[in-house]
Amino acid sequence: MNRSDRTEAALLAAPGVLLLGAVFVLPIAGVLAYGFFRDGVPSLAALDWTSWSRLFADDYYLGLAARTLRLGLIVTLAALLIGYPLAIAIDAAPRRWRTWLVLALLLPLMTSVVVRSFGWLVILGRNGPIVQWLRELELVDRRFQLAYTETGIAIAMVQVLLPYMVLTLLGVIGQIDRRLLEAARAMGAGWWTALARVTLPLSWPGVVGGSVLVFAVTVGSFITPVLIGGLKLPVLASGIYASAISENDWPMAAVQSVALFAVVLIVLLPYALVTRPARGGVAR
Amino acid sequence: MIGERPFAATVAMLLLLLLVGVFLLAPLAVVAAASLSAGGFLVFPPQGLSLRWYADVWGDPRYVQAAWTSLGLALITVAIAVPLGTAAALSLRRPGALPLRGLWEFLFLSPLVLPAVVLAIGLLILASNLAGGPSKAALVAGHVVIALPYVVRTVTAVLAGVDPATDDAARVMGASAWQRLFMVTLPQAKAGIAAGAVLAFIVSFDDAVLVLFLRSPTLETIPLRIYAGLEFSPDPGVAAVSTCLILLAAVAVGVTDRLLGGKQVVG
Repeated sequence: MNRSDRTEAALLAAPGVLLLGAVFVLPIAGVLAYGFFRDGVPSLAALDWTSWSRLFADDYYLGLAARTLRLGLIVTLAALLIGYPLAIAIDAAPRRWRTWLVLALLLPLMTSVVVRSFGWLVILGRNGPIVQWLRELELVDRRFQLAYTETGIAIAMVQVLLPYMVLTLLGVIGQIDRRLLEAARAMGAGWWTALARVTLPLSWPGVVGGSVLVFAVTVGSFITPVLIGGLKLPVLASGIYASAISENDWPMAAVQSVALFAVVLIVLLPYALVTRPARGGVAR
Repeated sequence: MIGERPFAATVAMLLLLLLVGVFLLAPLAVVAAASLSAGGFLVFPPQGLSLRWYADVWGDPRYVQAAWTSLGLALITVAIAVPLGTAAALSLRRPGALPLRGLWEFLFLSPLVLPAVVLAIGLLILASNLAGGPSKAALVAGHVVIALPYVVRTVTAVLAGVDPATDDAARVMGASAWQRLFMVTLPQAKAGIAAGAVLAFIVSFDDAVLVLFLRSPTLETIPLRIYAGLEFSPDPGVAAVSTCLILLAAVAVGVTDRLLGGKQVVG
């Protein structure tokens, strides 16, 4: 490594770093400033906690935070419970199938979230196929629907987030040395035992990485909860929108943003510290 | 999996693949089916089959205008994010060349996980302080930020399969830094750059969050029109436009898969 290499790398990184500094780090710092200082001016004299006391005094805001956290945990858990066996199945599938299966995961991932939420709104709505079927079985009454419920939001969010989980897991599971499994089988372990005692522990970084990714994206998502949940089931992201755009109350929007940020960082930072040397495989 | 797999496990896997496949693709299929309705209301299954809603949308100047706006935004985003992201990926390529490499890598990739609403509010505040209100420039900036990680990843993924010694060989044979960049490295990274451009285009074209915060009365994109349609009562026309977005995603997935040959960059 010589000096010209260093200059070259620094010159190549500079435009991106400068741009992100100006339109990513700076705006986010601005939001944080509005959360703590009057008019977003960072000085001791302008230190202002009124928005925070409003946040903590109001059941509405606490409800937003609670729903956001609850959805984040439920969606992450569901995505993991469905995603892990799915990743194992895709990994075990013949090569030819695998390409198609991965493409089937990528198609919804690359489709606008507005469109996917639209589809769920039709499926979960009062006249949708699921509800009609449940009604024909007389399990539910005429007014029952899944749209505009937290369950509905969770179902739609799992579909939106499942590809992230599975792709992360696949990246890690695909890198496990097959000879370890052969060795386990040769020494008499059954297929299930090998799965539980070899594959599962070795794929742990994928489980952690996928969960962190899904949780972070879930708590920050806006479109799906707003469209599926409607006005009655706001989450932090929609609370931020309501404060900033509808009520023009930037300090309140900022405080909720800080809360959302804190939720994400609490999960993200330990993960970043833990996985630093391992570098979570291809799909990181 | 090596050795004999129990029959029960194989059956369970096939069943799971089938069920999850239906679960993942159902919302897309429902939208596509609803768009083919001959009736005036959005229902599933559709009443009769026709393409009248596609013709309807095609002739609606509001949709056409929104499509041009989305296309323009996406192209500007690609034009800025692709060179910057490629350069960023190249700077991360040689371990040790860049001090604090981990920090910069985190910076380049973090827009993937940090909530877009917070970025949107930040850009809105910044734009209001600098320009007196939301502007197209703020929206472009936001789209570049969320598209950049995809370019960094695709280029990194492709360059990971290239022997860095080729660069040294060019240097030994007297190639200048520019010659090495344009005659060795960039041709090697070509597929990654192209795939990054496709993903950056899709990320910008599909975005509804940033545009919702930073819109102005004169600025309307396709996802924003769909969103507005869903807030009130969507007609099959909204489904027709949505189906076009699904087809666009299918093309993007197909093209990036071709370019990257199964290297994973999303997730």
